Amino acid sequence: MDMEILAIENLKKSFGGKEVLRGLDLTVPEHSIFGFIGRNGAGKTTTMKAILGLLKPDSGQVHVCGEKVCFGQTRTNRHIGYLPDVPEFYAYMTPLEYLRFCGEISGMGKADLATRSNELLKLVGLGQERRRIKGFSRGMKQRLGIAQALLNRPKLLICDEPTSALDPVGRKEILDILLAAKEQTTILFSTHILSDVERICTEAAFLNDGKIAMQGTIEELRSMRPSDGFIIETEQKEDAGNLIKAFNDLKTGEENTLTFHGDKERFFDIVRYVAENRIPIQRIERIEPTLESLFLEVTK
Amino acid sequence: MKPLFAFMKKEILETARTGRLIILVLLFALFGIMNPAIAKLTPWMMEMFSASLAESGLTVANVQVDAMTSWGQFFKNIPIALIAFVLIFSDSFTKEYRSGTLLLALTKGLSRYKVVLAKTVLLFSLWTLGYGLCFSITYGYTVYFWDNGIARHLFSAAAMWWLFGVWVISLVVLFSSLLQNNTSVILCTGGIVLLAYVLRAIPKAKAYSPALLMNVNSLLCGVEEANVYREAVLAAVAFAAIFVVLSVLNMNKRQV
Repeated sequence: MDMEILAIENLKKSFGGKEVLRGLDLTVPEHSIFGFIGRNGAGKTTTMKAILGLLKPDSGQVHVCGEKVCFGQTRTNRHIGYLPDVPEFYAYMTPLEYLRFCGEISGMGKADLATRSNELLKLVGLGQERRRIKGFSRGMKQRLGIAQALLNRPKLLICDEPTSALDPVGRKEILDILLAAKEQTTILFSTHILSDVERICTEAAFLNDGKIAMQGTIEELRSMRPSDGFIIETEQKEDAGNLIKAFNDLKTGEENTLTFHGDKERFFDIVRYVAENRIPIQRIERIEPTLESLFLEVTK
Repeated sequence: MKPLFAFMKKEILETARTGRLIILVLLFALFGIMNPAIAKLTPWMMEMFSASLAESGLTVANVQVDAMTSWGQFFKNIPIALIAFVLIFSDSFTKEYRSGTLLLALTKGLSRYKVVLAKTVLLFSLWTLGYGLCFSITYGYTVYFWDNGIARHLFSAAAMWWLFGVWVISLVVLFSSLLQNNTSVILCTGGIVLLAYVLRAIPKAKAYSPALLMNVNSLLCGVEEANVYREAVLAAVAFAAIFVVLSVLNMNKRQV
């Protein structure tokens, strides 16, 4: 079995009487891209700050690479690379200067730092950038953010909503960089954009009401919800009407399409009816379960 | 040690590239020139105004200007320079909390005490630099124009005022470790300085008030000896040290 990079047990935290985390348990195995899904304000950032030892939890424990996280004095942070939701850097530095600063405060060797900085800036597409950070766009800052987070080869990369504020092109770039980074590290990233999770994650957890509502691999999560049914599209509009008359649990969709939610036997009855009455069919399609439908169910 | 120096290097770069170093140098140099210049121009200005003053019935006798006039100006102007210094550098910590730049440094494993230490050392150094510059310029001109020998205990007096500045800056550091924005840092620092000022009016506590270090005229004229300030000096040094230690403790507990 893979080693657990991150283990959170019964984490609780409230802010001024408002309970944000109410007993959160979470484990992240090594070499996964772990999607941490929740609505805005569900407690994703709070959880991440607790992992980084920036917040003092009311109760519960966090272990990173088997070491306990202590608030304030965070030795465990040497295993972690962190990308905040809106990363801010010293605007008067160039990207290379900023990475040098990061490397020096985390105690990297000079030669290693130089090669690693260049390598990472190339990875995130800032290799030729000699300007100061002051003039950078949000997407560029996000990419520099990933570079600084990966600098000291962390075992765990934590990204707080890395794609939320970006346009589609910027989002794709970030997701591609994260996929490329998968070779080197385990990635935990929070988001409320489910298509991003479906695209790159191997595992995911739903955070709802300060607790993990569901956790597993993407396949496991999908299979937790059976097929959502079928779409049947007829060639002729009157055929669709006839089908509805015969099977009153069909629902009309757009134009000649009908949707069906029900058990398999009932579906075969419909297909038999179609064959016997020689109804021309445009398509029959299975509705795939999506994380979105699962998410909506979980957070209901 | 390496992370500490790296953070200090960043602080120096920040001071230089954000233009604060230039402002600091210009400000203190300007004050340095102004002190002897005002002293030198006083007789001439008096002459200019003598006609209009004579109309209102005032006669201006020959105004005597010497090194003491120049140093008088110096100690009258240096509070303004200190206030400007505090205003310029009061957001050294708070702007890092606000923008989240410190967060990234801390998640890289930088110890929090190193942040406090690096910033404190830099602020003390900048104050020393500015103050030294202002003092040197005033000193140069004063020696050139007048006989500087009449300013007794000049260096002790200057050191007192420098120490007062260090004490005020340690207050800025302390409140920066506690508070969220620089306006409250300025207000609280100002409040404590005022308190120290009021303390001078209480006979028993007077000797221990760091604000006593601002009042160096009698030392300059040779009316008093430096040992009168002994308790105030000790108090200022002790408080400054305590404030910095408290700042580290606050910083360790701070949720960023």
